[in-house]
Amino acid sequence: MPDTSPSRDLYPAIEPHETGTLPVGDGHTLYYEVSGNPKGKPALFLHGGPGSGTQPLQRRFFDPKRYRIVLFDQRGAGQSTPPGSLEANTTQHLVADIEALRRHLGIARWVVLGGSWGSTLALAYAGAHPEACTALVVRGIWLGRKRDIDWWIYGLNRIYPDYWEEFAGHLHPWERDDIVEGYARRLLDPDPKVHMPAAIAWRAFDQRVSTLLPQPSDPAPPGPRTLAVSRIENHYVRNLAFLGEGELLRGVGRFRQVPGVIIHGRYDMIAPIDGAFALARAWPEAELVLVEGESHSTSDPGIRQAMLEAADRFADLA
Amino acid sequence: MPDQTLPADLYPAIEPYESGMFPVGDGHELYYELCGNPKGKPVVFLHGGPGSGSQPEHRRFFDPKRYRILVFDQRGCGRSKPIASIENNTTQHLIRDIEALREKLGVKRWVVFGGSWGSTLGLAYAMAHPEACTALVLRGIWLCRKADLQWWLYSVRSIFTEYWDDFANYLPPDQRGDILENYFKLLVHPDPAVHMPAAANWKTYESRIASLIPKAGAEKSQSPRTLAMSRIEAHYMRNAVFLPENALIEAVPRFRHVPGVIVHGRYDVICPAENAIALSRAWPEAQLTMVPDAGHSAMEPGIRSALVAASDRFAELD
Repeated sequence: MPDTSPSRDLYPAIEPHETGTLPVGDGHTLYYEVSGNPKGKPALFLHGGPGSGTQPLQRRFFDPKRYRIVLFDQRGAGQSTPPGSLEANTTQHLVADIEALRRHLGIARWVVLGGSWGSTLALAYAGAHPEACTALVVRGIWLGRKRDIDWWIYGLNRIYPDYWEEFAGHLHPWERDDIVEGYARRLLDPDPKVHMPAAIAWRAFDQRVSTLLPQPSDPAPPGPRTLAVSRIENHYVRNLAFLGEGELLRGVGRFRQVPGVIIHGRYDMIAPIDGAFALARAWPEAELVLVEGESHSTSDPGIRQAMLEAADRFADLA
Repeated sequence: MPDQTLPADLYPAIEPYESGMFPVGDGHELYYELCGNPKGKPVVFLHGGPGSGSQPEHRRFFDPKRYRILVFDQRGCGRSKPIASIENNTTQHLIRDIEALREKLGVKRWVVFGGSWGSTLGLAYAMAHPEACTALVLRGIWLCRKADLQWWLYSVRSIFTEYWDDFANYLPPDQRGDILENYFKLLVHPDPAVHMPAAANWKTYESRIASLIPKAGAEKSQSPRTLAMSRIEAHYMRNAVFLPENALIEAVPRFRHVPGVIVHGRYDVICPAENAIALSRAWPEAQLTMVPDAGHSAMEPGIRSALVAASDRFAELD
C-alpha cells in the first residue's frame, strides 16, 4: 500500500550461535542470544510491551553477514526469570541491564533498534548512554506521556468501541474511571481464576488495536507469557513508564548527534503518530519515515521495509 | 449475468431527465435533479458537509432502472441560491425542504440515503417524518455530539498531526483554543481576501483526512463552492447542528421499524467509528457494516460496495 515499489522481505531465518543468561541483581536473570556474524557490527534489538519478550523473527531485520545481532528478554519477560516479576522492574533498571549486557558481551557501541515500547526504551537508553549508540532505529514511537496513556486506555474507545467495551467491560462499571488500577488489582491477585482472565482481556485489547486489519488468530492465549506481558505493561503504565512527563523529548539533546531513523505508521492506533512528530520536532537531525495506510505492526510491508533499509544503511557506518 | 462474486460497484454515469430550481422560502432556492426511472422507486440522496453540495457521482449509488433518484443541493450550497448563505439555514429548515420536495414530486415514501452530514440529516429527517421513509441507508455516521465536534476540531491531531497543524496554525496562537469561533469569524468576514483563504484552508483540512490514504491534490481552491462548504459547516458546528446533545440516538424509537443499513469505515478520522457503533447499539435492528480498511469517504472501495449493495436490496422493498 505505501507505494509501487515491491516490498522487501526479512532476512532468512537464522539460529543464534550463542545464548546465555546474565544475572543482573535483584533476583533477575536475563536471557540473551547472539546471532549473525560474530565479527559483525553489533546491533541490539529492544522488544516491546514492556514484557512481550523477543521473537526469533526479530533477528531477521539485520543482515546476518554484516551484523552481530543481540536480542534479550527484558526483566520478567520471555525466557528471563523470574517470569512476570515486577520487583525492581523499572525503566531505569532496564537501561542499566542494557549496559550490563553490552559490557558482558564486550561491545563498545551498537546500533539500537526498537519498536513500540522498544522505542521508548531505546530513547531512554540513548539519553542515558549516548556514547554507546552507533545509530538509533525507532518504530511506532511511544513516549509514555500522560496523553499517550490516556489515548490507549480511554481514547481508543472512539475508534474501537467494540474492542474497548470488552476491555473495560472486564471490570465493574464503578472501576472504569480508573481502568489501569482496576486491572492491577486483578492481574496481581494470586488466584489464577482472577489474574488469568484479566491478563487475557488486557492483552487481547492491546493486540487488537495494534494492527490495521483484524487478526484471525486468538490475540491472547492463556498462559504465563500472556500473564507476564499484561502484568508488566500494566505496571509500567501505572507508573507512567517511570519517566517524568516529557523526559524522553528533553533527553534528545544528549544524543541528537547519533544518526537516527524514526518510522511510524499513519494508522498506528495504539501509539498515535503525533508522538513521532513530537520526536521529529525535538530531533530534526533524525529522518522521519511516515508510512501511509499502515499501523503499529511490523508485519505491515512499508514499516518492515523501512526498518530493513535503516538497519542496512547503518551496517556500514563506522 | 453479472458476476455475483465481484463486489458491487457504482452504476454507470447518467444525466438527469429533469432538473430545476425550487423556491423554499426565506429567499432560498434549491437546485434539484431527477435521474433514473421516472416510474422507479423513489430515493433521496442527502449530501454531506453540511454545505458540500451534490456531485454527479451521487447518482451512481442507485440502479437507474429501478430507482427514481432525487439529488438536490441543500440551502446555500452547490447550485442552490443564494450561495454560502447561512440565513434561515438550520437542520429544521433542511428537514422542511426535504418534505417540500417530497410533496412537490408527489412521492409518498422514499428510501433516504446519506453519508457524513447526510447521515445526520437522514436521521433527523427520519426522527421528524418516519412515515415518509421506506428505508435508511446511512454512511460515515456523524451524531455531532460535543465529543464529535471536539474530535474533529482537536483530536484529529493525534492521527493527522501535520494536517491539523496546517489547519490550526492558520490562526494566531492565542486563537487556537477556540478554533471553531475564530475560524467562523474569518469565514463570515465580508472581505473575500479574509474569508476565501480561510475557507480553502478549512476545506483542505477536511479533504486531507477523509480517506484512508490521503489523496494527492486534496487542496481546495478558493471558490464560492469552497466558501459555502466551510462557512455552512462552521455555522452548523457552532450551533451543535441545531439539535440537543444525543437527540438522534434518543429518537431511534420513532423510526426503529424502518429498515436500516449503517456503513462505516473503521478508520474514519472525521467521524470516528464510535458514532456508528453508538447508533447501532441504540438501533440493533439496523444492519451495521464496519468496513475494516476504509476511512470516511463514500468512495472508499469497501464503503462504495456496501452502499450499492444496500440500495440494491431496498430497490425491491415496498
